[in-house]
Amino acid sequence: MQFILNLTAREIRSSWRRLLFFFLCIAIGVGSIVALRSLVHNLSRAVGGDARELLTADFRITSAADFSPGDLSKIDEIISKTNIVDGKNEILETSAMARPVNSSRKTLEFVSLKGIEPPFPLAGKFQMPDGKPFDFKLLENRGAVVAPILLEELGVKIGGKIAIGEAEFIIRGVFDEEPGGSSGFRLGARVFIEKKAFEEAGILQNRSRVTRRLLYRTLENPTALVEQLRENLKGSTLRVQSYRETQERLGEQFERTENYLSLTGLLILVLGGVGVWNVARVFVEQKRKSVAVLKCLGASGTKIITVYIFQILILGLVGSLFGVFLAQLGLWLARLNFNDALPKAMSYSISFATASQGVVLGILISLLFSALPLLQVRNIRPSLLLRDENNENLRNLDWTKWIFGLVSLLGLLGLAVWQAGSFVVGSFFLVGLGITALVLYVSASVLTRLLKRIKSFGSFSIRQAINSLYRPGNQTRIILLAVGLGAFVVLAVQSLQGNLLREFDLTRNQNLPSLFFIDIQKSQVKAFQSVVRKAIGEDAETIPTVRARISYVNGKPIDYENREVRQQQGQIGREFAVTYRPTLDDNESLIQGVWWDKEDAKVPEVSVEEEMAERLKISAGDSITFDISGRQLTAQVANVRKLDLRNTRTAFIFVFRPGVLENAPQSFVANVLKRIPANDRQRLQRDIVDKFPNVQIFDVAEIVKVFQNLLENFVLAISFVGGFVILSGILILIGSVALTKSQRVYENAILKTLGAKRLTLSTILFAEYGILGTMAGVIGVFFATVLSFAVSKYVLDIDWEFDPTLSFLGILITAFLVMIVGAVSNFDVLFKKPLSTLRSQ
Amino acid sequence: MIDIKNVTKTVRSGTENLTILDNVSLEIPSGQFVAVTGASGSGKSTLLGLIAGLDAPSSGEVVIDGEKITAMSEDDLATLRSEKIGFIFQSFHLIPSLTAFENILIPMEILGLKDAKERAAKLLEDVELTNRGHHYPSELSGGEQQRIAIARAFANRPMILLADEPTGNLDSKNGNHILDLMIGLHQKNEVTLVLVTHDINLAAKAQRQIRLRDGRVLSDN
Repeated sequence: MQFILNLTAREIRSSWRRLLFFFLCIAIGVGSIVALRSLVHNLSRAVGGDARELLTADFRITSAADFSPGDLSKIDEIISKTNIVDGKNEILETSAMARPVNSSRKTLEFVSLKGIEPPFPLAGKFQMPDGKPFDFKLLENRGAVVAPILLEELGVKIGGKIAIGEAEFIIRGVFDEEPGGSSGFRLGARVFIEKKAFEEAGILQNRSRVTRRLLYRTLENPTALVEQLRENLKGSTLRVQSYRETQERLGEQFERTENYLSLTGLLILVLGGVGVWNVARVFVEQKRKSVAVLKCLGASGTKIITVYIFQILILGLVGSLFGVFLAQLGLWLARLNFNDALPKAMSYSISFATASQGVVLGILISLLFSALPLLQVRNIRPSLLLRDENNENLRNLDWTKWIFGLVSLLGLLGLAVWQAGSFVVGSFFLVGLGITALVLYVSASVLTRLLKRIKSFGSFSIRQAINSLYRPGNQTRIILLAVGLGAFVVLAVQSLQGNLLREFDLTRNQNLPSLFFIDIQKSQVKAFQSVVRKAIGEDAETIPTVRARISYVNGKPIDYENREVRQQQGQIGREFAVTYRPTLDDNESLIQGVWWDKEDAKVPEVSVEEEMAERLKISAGDSITFDISGRQLTAQVANVRKLDLRNTRTAFIFVFRPGVLENAPQSFVANVLKRIPANDRQRLQRDIVDKFPNVQIFDVAEIVKVFQNLLENFVLAISFVGGFVILSGILILIGSVALTKSQRVYENAILKTLGAKRLTLSTILFAEYGILGTMAGVIGVFFATVLSFAVSKYVLDIDWEFDPTLSFLGILITAFLVMIVGAVSNFDVLFKKPLSTLRSQ
Repeated sequence: MIDIKNVTKTVRSGTENLTILDNVSLEIPSGQFVAVTGASGSGKSTLLGLIAGLDAPSSGEVVIDGEKITAMSEDDLATLRSEKIGFIFQSFHLIPSLTAFENILIPMEILGLKDAKERAAKLLEDVELTNRGHHYPSELSGGEQQRIAIARAFANRPMILLADEPTGNLDSKNGNHILDLMIGLHQKNEVTLVLVTHDINLAAKAQRQIRLRDGRVLSDN
């Protein structure tokens, strides 16, 4: 044992430089796995860790309409039977336009308005600056507490006034931390006002977009009560949620995300493993003589393998620890770059469990991938010290290697299953990885074979460079596989981003409005049009809308007991804006039934959007009964429409045949298609809101910008992961350079002896890696194009365009990267004196 | 005592079988200094390798100190070498990643000797390289490397010392120094010394000379 420990220590002392790549491969793999897992883990803790705070209560009942007296009494009756509720309040939420009062700045902003009543919050923190708790008095008499950013956006100060709807509010303070957190996508900054001010401000005029919530705090676990409430409220559109379910749901979602991301990390680690395998092969190759000497001096093969396994274990451990350090750096970097997008309360530390998991993974991958190369040690015969035999055995696979290969594969499967948290997902990952690798490997083989054919057309340097790619023990296909895979991931994401952004590019998509107005009253239409006309020189397109809810389908109430239906309760039970018109829009096409002629309806007829028809399980000829302002209206389904959302200005789920809804209470939506500069857009919005405070405006260009930013962050995150894959590929490249370096030194010595100049040798070097990089780039671009096409066409359902610039740049950058790395790691070879090399052979 | 009985060694060369040793039988008593000579390719080094158990014969037997080594496993052979055989190579074969001192230490550590460090220091002194112990092989001259190799070969007090052209890579001055050192240690430790060389003058210093040609014993006197 003493011998093993001593030799391990001495080997590490002398070989650490050569094994640095081994170390880096493991560190980068472990680093990415730990960073990704920690990021999601911490995010889940920050967002979903305390679902009670997120809900600001123990359970809540949500409704998209006013609570009916019947529902309220049912709720009260059930709750009064238990004694566990110790607090209750009601809140209203909606989006609205806010603008400064008495300000020279003509600004206005969309805000996320919350009307609250004491006691608030029932759970969670509501904290003002300097750690002071929220005081409800701040909201009394038309006070408002707002997110700090709103002050900046509107150019107002604390004490200043803002107008929301028809009412004015004094900003009494800003909050530091709001209950329920700032997670999730929200259009506009949060504004808290008193619940009763909602009614007074005229915001409740448009009841349909106000969400009402009854919040409850309980002394005990509310699950039983929640189940009872749900049972009794069956058939209504009320939704009952407990924090425990939310916690479970969020927990499951985050766990799934964490596991999937860990698999991405595992992919990087597996590529790192390929690097380890290469390094271990080079290492054993270089250690052949030392191993033979040790055997000659009496050390058994088992003892020597134990020394190297110890070495691998130590390097794997230190590499993994360094990986954990890299992960921590990565998290700090994420805090610097994405601070605004991530929750404020999020931690950026790495838990002991995640770190240990990373370290165990790192060590296992080190062992799994170096086991096979290390087995070669058994076959090194001491007699090679007497005769420099080729040790053919080194290349033959005996049964022990097959067994070890199988064990390694099973080990890898185990790791994938462990990381995915599911046998099926883990197996799919490994099989998927295997198939992707196989496809890339086959492509690499085809490309290299093609290259061999065109060899005769090149100059001496090119021919030599191509020859080098076929050098015995070459790693050409493995490098093409690894670097190609990295380029593939990065380019596929970039190409998808390009296509998605094009889809939302206002300058290309003429049908997307630049401004969208809702809640214009019938009496306001004329005046509204004249304001718009004055500002932009043309009328806005106005469309009448009527608010309606579904009461019955084919005479039967909607079966909310059905789990599938209940899951879509929000989609079916909500209030819809419906319209009526004689013709189909340009972006609509019929998929069932017939469109009506221009005459008014004899019986009410309705056209239903495809997805809603599927949801309601209806087709042409069926009937739907709508509740329109308390009146029941049964309409026959005349047809089912498909909406092309890409070309849409409006997207109505239900369109009625004219002649039915004209006299129902209605408001109008309007849209402006003309492209107007941002300043003019702001001015027009302000003019409209000044004159018609009830109207809400969506600045589509701004929304698209928010979406584009989100997309860019997403792409950045995936490209970051893709970058790691490329990095692993580069490490494999460096490892393989080391593997064939002695051969290159020897070849160069011979070429120099035969009269080749350093310039020729450098050209060969650059050409070799340039060709290799170009081929990796071509593979990456090809598969990225295929994937981006398939995802655009079949998953996202968007137009797809080939981007020649991206493809060209993709190939160019990959080629350049590989060329530089290859050339730099081989540069010293050019300066070696040939005589000493030839003598030593 | 080394007993070689009807040993033949055949290797595959391309598509043909090449006989390197052809039915060789020899007995070398303990403590004898034997020189094995012959032209290049006569089978000298192969014979030495078979005695050390570095390779296995195609047929025949090698018996060392009463033990039939041709029937031993790789690990048993390693133990045998560790305990009974020292080896000196023409190209030294020091482990490049270890210092001179550590190279001497290795066989003793494999055997698990307690006083390994003291003995390694003593051996360094015997080969007059005490001040070079911390140097790596690449920092030593050829002669110095071979002296370290000799010290390493004597580390476990072997019964048999096998030397394969130990002076082949050295100039005459260094060569003579190495030879004197080896013979001195052989006499002092009473070990059997089998020296492979093609240098007639060197062979003349041995008690017995065996000449090989085309894998057969041409003369033994």
